[in-house]
Amino acid sequence: MLFLRDYGDTEVGGFGIAASDDLLFVEDIQLVKQVCSWAHVAFDDESVADFFDRQVDAERRPEQFARIWVHTHPGDCPRPSMTDEETFERVFGRADWAVMFILDCEGQSYARLRFNVGPCAEVEIPVGVDYSRPFSATEPDTWEQEYLANVHAEQLRRGMASTLEPVLASPFDEEPTDAWYESWFDYAAEEEEAEELIL
Amino acid sequence: MKILVINNDGGGFADYVDVADGTTVAQLFERQIGSTKPSHYLIRVNRQPCPADQVLCEGDRISITPTKIEGANS
Repeated sequence: MLFLRDYGDTEVGGFGIAASDDLLFVEDIQLVKQVCSWAHVAFDDESVADFFDRQVDAERRPEQFARIWVHTHPGDCPRPSMTDEETFERVFGRADWAVMFILDCEGQSYARLRFNVGPCAEVEIPVGVDYSRPFSATEPDTWEQEYLANVHAEQLRRGMASTLEPVLASPFDEEPTDAWYESWFDYAAEEEEAEELIL
Repeated sequence: MKILVINNDGGGFADYVDVADGTTVAQLFERQIGSTKPSHYLIRVNRQPCPADQVLCEGDRISITPTKIEGANS
């Protein structure tokens, strides 16, 4: 995580991969394709789906790979922003539990465990390195390749300083088609009508 | 017929489930996710985006994964 934070000038994010016997012990950090700036990181939806597929193929359970959301803050404050909170609620609020972890540029960290079942609760949790567990050697070359393959800095378009153009192409550039959108819009409209009838 | 379903809601799910012949993607979404808006998810069948009315086939892999995961500096 320190390597990823310090490699570039932007935020960077990913998922913590937990040990099967201890879901709060992070064994690895996996990146997905993302567009980043100094103040923002946005994961590519298609890459997130690919990540889920790869992890399932590796015989991991969703609770091992999709519950610990990690990202950095290039500034000196690890506290979550409104955007962070909105994502944590919308994306991770329907899982039984989830963790939001943030590392800032000065080494301060923030971690919050949230339970969405039972009485529901949220608590900040301490973060530490567990040296009692075995760990492999550092792999800076591999980490660098993973970073370069996934982290794309936003670039300002010449003459349009207020418009940010992501380097990463949208997965929807070619697919899906209009028919795909229409089918889901129709489905959503039917759902809303059904909700109104129930109300 | 059996299909593989992947999603992270609730306890998380990545397993084969039995569905009736003729089940569509939208019907499976309702069964697995409930009333949440489908726009909050990327829904793919066999790793490809799919229409809501696509009929599922034996052995299909359907993934329902979150979208718009964003973070921002304070």
